[in-house]
Amino acid sequence: MRTALARFARNRLALAGAMVLLGLVALVALTPLLYPGDPFGLVGPALQPPGGQFLLGTDTLGRDVAAEIAYGARTSLIIGLSATGAAILLGTLIGGLAGYYRGGVEVALMRLTEFFQTIPAFVLAILIVAILSPSLSSEVVAIVAVSWPGIARLVRGEFVALGGREFVLACDGLGAGDARIVFRHMLPNCTAAIIAVGTLLIGTAILIEAGLAFLGLGDPNVMSWGLIISSGRAVLRSAWWICTFPGLAILLTVLAINLVGDGLNEVLNPRLRER
Amino acid sequence: MPRTFDATDLSRRTILALPLGLAAAASGARAAEPKRGGTMVMIVHPEPSTLAHYAVSAGNIPPIATQVYEGLCTYDWDQNPQPNLAKSWEVAPDGKTITFKLQDGVTFHNGKPFTSADVQYSFMEILKKYNPIAPVMLAELVAVDTPDPMTAVLRLANPAPYIMKALSGRDLPILCRSVFEGTDVLQNPSANKPIGTGPFKFASWERGQFVRLDRNESYWKPGLPYLNRIVARFIPDAATRSAAMEAGEAHFAGYSAVNYADLARMKTNPILDLTTKGYEMTPAQSVLELNGRHPHLQKKEVRQAIAYAIDRKVILKDVMFGYGQPATGPLSRKFKTAGLYTDDVRQYDVPDRLDIANRLLDEAGAPRGADGTRFALHLEVNSFGEQWLRQAEYLKQALAGVGIAVTLRSEDTATWLRRVYTNYDYDLNEPFLSQGVDPVYGLNKQFLTSQIRKGVTFVNDTFYSNPEVDRMLGEGAREPDAEKRAALYKKVQQILAEDSPMIWLIDVQYVSVFNRRLKDHTTGPLGTQQAFERAWMDK
Amino acid sequence: MRLARFLGYRLLLSIPVVLGIVVLNFFLIHLAPGDAASVLAGESGAASPEYMEQLRHKFGLDQPLATQFGVYLLNMLHLDLGYSFRNDSPVGSLIVDRLWPTGLLMLTAFAAALVIGTLLGLVAATGRNSWRDALISLVSLVAYATPGFWLGLMMIVVFAIRLGWLPTSGYDTVGADNEGWDEVWDVGRHLVMPAVALALFYLAVYARVMRASVLEQVGMDYVTTARAKGQTEARVMTGHVLRNALLPVVTMAGVQAGNLIGGSIVVETVFGWPGVGTLAFNALQSRDLNLLLGIFFVSACLVVAINLAVDLVYVCLDPRLEL
Repeated sequence: MRTALARFARNRLALAGAMVLLGLVALVALTPLLYPGDPFGLVGPALQPPGGQFLLGTDTLGRDVAAEIAYGARTSLIIGLSATGAAILLGTLIGGLAGYYRGGVEVALMRLTEFFQTIPAFVLAILIVAILSPSLSSEVVAIVAVSWPGIARLVRGEFVALGGREFVLACDGLGAGDARIVFRHMLPNCTAAIIAVGTLLIGTAILIEAGLAFLGLGDPNVMSWGLIISSGRAVLRSAWWICTFPGLAILLTVLAINLVGDGLNEVLNPRLRER
Repeated sequence: MPRTFDATDLSRRTILALPLGLAAAASGARAAEPKRGGTMVMIVHPEPSTLAHYAVSAGNIPPIATQVYEGLCTYDWDQNPQPNLAKSWEVAPDGKTITFKLQDGVTFHNGKPFTSADVQYSFMEILKKYNPIAPVMLAELVAVDTPDPMTAVLRLANPAPYIMKALSGRDLPILCRSVFEGTDVLQNPSANKPIGTGPFKFASWERGQFVRLDRNESYWKPGLPYLNRIVARFIPDAATRSAAMEAGEAHFAGYSAVNYADLARMKTNPILDLTTKGYEMTPAQSVLELNGRHPHLQKKEVRQAIAYAIDRKVILKDVMFGYGQPATGPLSRKFKTAGLYTDDVRQYDVPDRLDIANRLLDEAGAPRGADGTRFALHLEVNSFGEQWLRQAEYLKQALAGVGIAVTLRSEDTATWLRRVYTNYDYDLNEPFLSQGVDPVYGLNKQFLTSQIRKGVTFVNDTFYSNPEVDRMLGEGAREPDAEKRAALYKKVQQILAEDSPMIWLIDVQYVSVFNRRLKDHTTGPLGTQQAFERAWMDK
Repeated sequence: MRLARFLGYRLLLSIPVVLGIVVLNFFLIHLAPGDAASVLAGESGAASPEYMEQLRHKFGLDQPLATQFGVYLLNMLHLDLGYSFRNDSPVGSLIVDRLWPTGLLMLTAFAAALVIGTLLGLVAATGRNSWRDALISLVSLVAYATPGFWLGLMMIVVFAIRLGWLPTSGYDTVGADNEGWDEVWDVGRHLVMPAVALALFYLAVYARVMRASVLEQVGMDYVTTARAKGQTEARVMTGHVLRNALLPVVTMAGVQAGNLIGGSIVVETVFGWPGVGTLAFNALQSRDLNLLLGIFFVSACLVVAINLAVDLVYVCLDPRLEL
């Protein structure tokens, strides 16, 4: 464990990413202290540029952009993590079952995957949010619905490829049970790809949320980065700070998550250790 | 006393309403000479779903449709009718007959001559049956007689003074009888390939991109139009629309196609200019509706308290960027010209309004709880644009200031309309209401008891029911005497402002942004919603 | 021979799949509250019950759901996608009108992203943990993490307004009536910014997956064996690693290809590009169900076809896989 951490720390970029994420978590924890009150509250004159009393300026109604970003961090993280986690679980389950058992199971599950893929992703997300009415939970459901097919197909592809490998056939020949083969041999070999795609997924989830808010489908009662960007869109040319700072926040967060994901990948993947 | 109008009646006011060239000749002043030729690109937002504005009254269709279709009249800056397809007219003393003498030598774009038969067919077979404003505007129309091809007589069951305001190409366009006769009007292919008498002919519609209109070479007004072509472009994103104007790619953006937020920047751009003219006959208001069946909202004190709690000036400044005015009551200030508006009503915008609001709520039996909240309400956010969310967010904060906790609900159009107007499943609603050319249109729809109709959108959904108001609105519709009419509507405004079934927030002001090379684009109070026949492009 | 049987089998299988998709889509869309008549009436701002009744009758909405479905299915079997009452046009022609601009934008962005992204991923993986690896990873991540619409708007401000190099929006210059190469040039200029905005996003995906995949392959036994046998690094890469590393990339590309239609709503909106994405979005907002279903159907056919192609490419890349 300690060697794994040490190896992780040697990767400077991954370390930087981890630092940023820790900072983010700290921000989320400290937000009620730093910015007491309602982030939706109208606390100052509208469209103040950054500087002075309001570090990141105020928006069209006179809300503190810095407070909005702080409270929005919590929302974005919740959506990103929960949606991605659920999508990975669901996708791995379905893809794994399909890739391992092949035959009729694979055909049925892959057709199910295809169904979700045929509807243009964003349109499906919007459709789900429309059916369920815009709220945090409907956004999460929409993101999961859109994201799991990619994981499923990936895992299925990996399982199919691995299934033909000698070591798997050998295990099978030796009489190992399905669960053992899957969890001890096949899944670990997929983790590199799953983590690679999974970390991107967190970022995608945050970006989809921003996109939904951009189109006016976000939850208007919960502060989120996407909501801030959409509110600043109309004044982008004259009040650049309203869109820019949450945009930067998304950028940094997704960047950090991915760097950490890379670092994890290198640590976890045994074959990469030798070099 | 018969009221006639004749083209020879050139009062001073009329001279001012004439095209720039003629007026200059009349008064001897110097004026620029219109140049023939050129293509004008105008931005229309959002893209219309159809061009059949005789059956659909969305505001984004007339800028295109009125280049092709014309009406019996146009309107001058005093909102008096001026001859167009009708050369002259005479209203009978009892107000139940209006005789129109029609313009001769007019042909439709398909070559068919324009006659009174077209007027009869348009009014009786198309507009009266299918036009959404007809149930109000043409309620009294019984028949249209055609004694000769150049005379059309409208026969009414009762006097309807407001009809004279609605004869434009925007509200009651004249269609070609032979195109529609014997067909299913709503399925007629000319819906999206309009055939009219107007200065521009329909050329093509590339969905998602533009509609092209070419000059009508045989237009009946000599020498007009000046432009070769008009292209209406559709650009979904607001920032991109502004960019197109700034880059000189588009020459005209009316009906607030350019967001309020960008107007300040447009003003400083050397190639552009703005005007708020051309919307005098397009009054609209942003309102906050209160569900009259809600246990708290059925109390007048609570409704008034909410009216006091809201600072309309903040909405005007931060949501409308200064364009428009705080509303005082159910009629927009744009009705001042017609003499029907009054601000002699209960004023909610007083210095101690928050104290009054809190006191009213306490008296109404809704005291603050331990956390400062009196009760909670849901606010349905208007789905037609980003700025309404801003307004809703402000309203939420404003009501929080007097202890009412508001939760916003933001749904798409179909869901929102069904929830509010079919299921009545709402507490607060913030629609945007067009008021038409006459109070008979706007007020009746919102405040008549008979207009509480489940499933119909943008009519009385507050359950407001006041027999006195019902009576006065009914009388006002039929009152031919202008002063008596004004008195009736003044009383109605006073009663409504007192009862406060909804909170009138802003008298909306639309803005047109135009390229300085484009001249004479706004020639009357219908502005962008009438033909650009006199518009021309300078080099 | 195996190939022909495989293709025949899959094509036959795809018919019930597509039909099943149509059925499920029909009922899924009907779950959304509200209908086209109320939206149209709402937008027109002046609706009477008679007007709404007329609309409902015209749209066929006053029929029971089962009847509506039956009618739709029957039409589908004749490849008639129905009529969009809101747009007064057959659904088929509405979609076809938008297919070319959509295809142009998506394929350009897609191809550029795939080719450049894969190359970058390979370069990054071979120079693992060097500065070029870090740089490529960082740049691709930044490209990925930047919200598409923000990027698009910034590009318009810089390249169209400030510099005046490129047009702000649209497919081509309106009213210009260009022919031949003039038209190609005109459309090309309009295509640059939306394609770049779209490609940057996908580029990161391919670069990352390729990099991870190559790294994984390179750590495998067969590579060690090949090196031990004395093969050059280049031969090891091209002969062995590349084919295997491309597998997850192909998977990812297949997944993304499913988004060829409708995946670019945001970019289309910002740049006013007349694509199927905005058509679908507007159709949903206005509950124009025939149009939405038509788009889903076309998208379904496309994805089924692409998945088939992906599976074929798998087999080409990895001979151990059986059809």
